[in-house]
Amino acid sequence: MADDQKKRGAVKFVFWTALAVVLIGYCWYSYSSGQMVNWYYYKAKTDGYAVNANTFQAATKEKPMTLEIGKFNPIEGLQATPVKKGDRLPVNTNGIISTKDLEEGKRVKLEGDKIVVTVPMQVKEAKGFKYKDTFKHKGIETNPWSGVWNVLWVLSLGICLGFSAEGLTDMFGLKLKKIVHHGH
Amino acid sequence: MFDFAIAGITSPFMLLVLTGFTVGIVGGFIGVGGGYMVTPALIVFGFPGYMASGIDMTHIAGKSVIATVRHRQMGNIDWVLGLAMVGGTMLGVELGVRLLNWAKNLGIAGILLLTCSVVVMLGLFIYTQLETAKAHKKITKDAEAGIEAGREVMVSKVPLFFQNIPIYPIVRCHTARLIISMWVIVLVGMVTGILAGFLGVGGGFVRVPALIYIVGATTHIAVGTDLLEIAVSGGYGAMRHSQMGNVDMIAVLFMIVGAMVGAQFGSIATMYVRGPAIRYILSYSLILATVGAFLRLIYMLTGQKHEFLSFFAVVFTLGEMFFLCFFITSLVVFAVRYRHGKSVPEWVPALVVKED
Repeated sequence: MADDQKKRGAVKFVFWTALAVVLIGYCWYSYSSGQMVNWYYYKAKTDGYAVNANTFQAATKEKPMTLEIGKFNPIEGLQATPVKKGDRLPVNTNGIISTKDLEEGKRVKLEGDKIVVTVPMQVKEAKGFKYKDTFKHKGIETNPWSGVWNVLWVLSLGICLGFSAEGLTDMFGLKLKKIVHHGH
Repeated sequence: MFDFAIAGITSPFMLLVLTGFTVGIVGGFIGVGGGYMVTPALIVFGFPGYMASGIDMTHIAGKSVIATVRHRQMGNIDWVLGLAMVGGTMLGVELGVRLLNWAKNLGIAGILLLTCSVVVMLGLFIYTQLETAKAHKKITKDAEAGIEAGREVMVSKVPLFFQNIPIYPIVRCHTARLIISMWVIVLVGMVTGILAGFLGVGGGFVRVPALIYIVGATTHIAVGTDLLEIAVSGGYGAMRHSQMGNVDMIAVLFMIVGAMVGAQFGSIATMYVRGPAIRYILSYSLILATVGAFLRLIYMLTGQKHEFLSFFAVVFTLGEMFFLCFFITSLVVFAVRYRHGKSVPEWVPALVVKED
C-alpha cells in the first residue's frame, strides 16, 4: 500500500515537474529572446523614438550618452528607431522618447541624426529610501491580452509547482494526513 | 545582476529569490500574501513603485496557489466558505478602490490610508494578543490538570453571536464544521475586501482574523481558506496591473521559484503547531507592520522633512520578514524536539502538537 502511494507520488512529481519546466523554459526563452518584451510592449502610444531604456541608465548631465537614429529591429545597445503613434514597436524596445520631450530639450536633445540623453528615462530621486519615478512607460501601449495571459501563466505555474511539491513528499513517503477540524 | 528589460532596471536576481522564499514562509504559515512587506523590498532593490506593486501582486497570485495546493492536502480549506466569500470580497475590493479614489480627489488619501492602516492593525494586534494569551493560559492550565488540548483552542465568544444570526440561506461548511448564515460570510468578505481595496493590499491580515473571530473557523482553516481567496483576488489584481504595463514576468518568475520552497515550508509548518501559535505570529506581523506604517504616517504629518523616519519604516518592514521567518523556523525546530522528547522552553508545549 505504502509502495503504491510512493509510486503514485513519483508519477505525480514527474508529470507536474515536467509541466512546470515547460512553463518556466517558455518564459525564460521568450524573455531572453526579446519576444516577450516585444509582445508585451505592443504599440507606440505617441510619436517619438523607440529605445531600450536599460542601455542609457548611466547617462548624466556631466556624461551624456548618445543614441544613433535609424531603422533598427531589434534595437541593440544605444540605438533609436523613429515611430509614429499606433506603430508596432521594434524588438527590445522598453521605452519611447517622445517628440515632446525632444522639443523641450530638458532631458534629451536631438543633435543631427543622434539623440543626446542627459537624464535616463527612469530617474530615481534618491534621498535615503525615498524615490521619485518619472518613467512610466507612458509612450507604450501594452498588449490588451497580456493581463489574461500573465495571470493564466502564473496560476498554471503555481498549480504545477504546488502539485510537484506534493508529489515529491508523497514519493518519499511523507504523505501529510488531513487535519480534522472542530469549529467553535 | 540581471537585466530586467520590462522593468527597465538592472538588479540582483538572487535578492528576488530570497524575498520570494521569506515571504513564502510567512504567507504559507499565517495565510497572508505579504504585499505590505514585498512592495517596499522591491523598491529598495531598484524597481519603480508602480512596477513593484504589479510584480508583487502577480507573484502573490502564483504563490497563493502553491500554498493553497498544500493546504488542500492537509484539509485546511473549506471550499464552501471560500467560494461564498469570493463574491463579497471582489465587490468589497472594488468599493475600497473607489473609496481610495474619492480620498485621492480630496487630497487626503496618503494620511487617511496610513491612519486607517495603523488603527486597523493596532486594533487587531491588541485583540489577537489578548485572546491568544488567554487561550495559551487555558492550554497550560488544562495540561496541568491532565487534560490534553486539541489543535485549536480559542476563548473568544464573538463567533457564537454571528453563528446564531438566523438569516437564510444558512450554509453548512463541512470541513470547517460550521453552520452559519451565508450573509455573514458575504458581509465579512465585503468588509475585509473594502479594507483590502482601500489599503491596496491582498487583505489577508484582516481576513484571517475575521474568519477566526467572526465566522468562527479554526486558525488552520482560516489560513488555508484565505490563501484561496488571495489566489482569486490576487489573480484579478495581477490582471489589472499587467494590462497597465506594471508587470515584469521574469521578476515574477524569480520570486515564485523562491516562494515555491518557502510556501511549502510555511504550509507544512502549520501541521506542527496549534492555532494560537499561528495567531501569535500573525499578531507580531501586525504590530511590526503597524510600526512601519506609523513611522511613515509621522513622516508625512511632519511634511516629509525627517528622512530617517522613512528610512526606519523600510528597515522595519524588511526586518519583519526575517524576524517572522526566524520565529516560524524556531517554532518548528522546537516542535520537532518536543515530539522526540527533547527539552524545549516552557512556553513551547502549549503552542505545538505532539502527534499528527
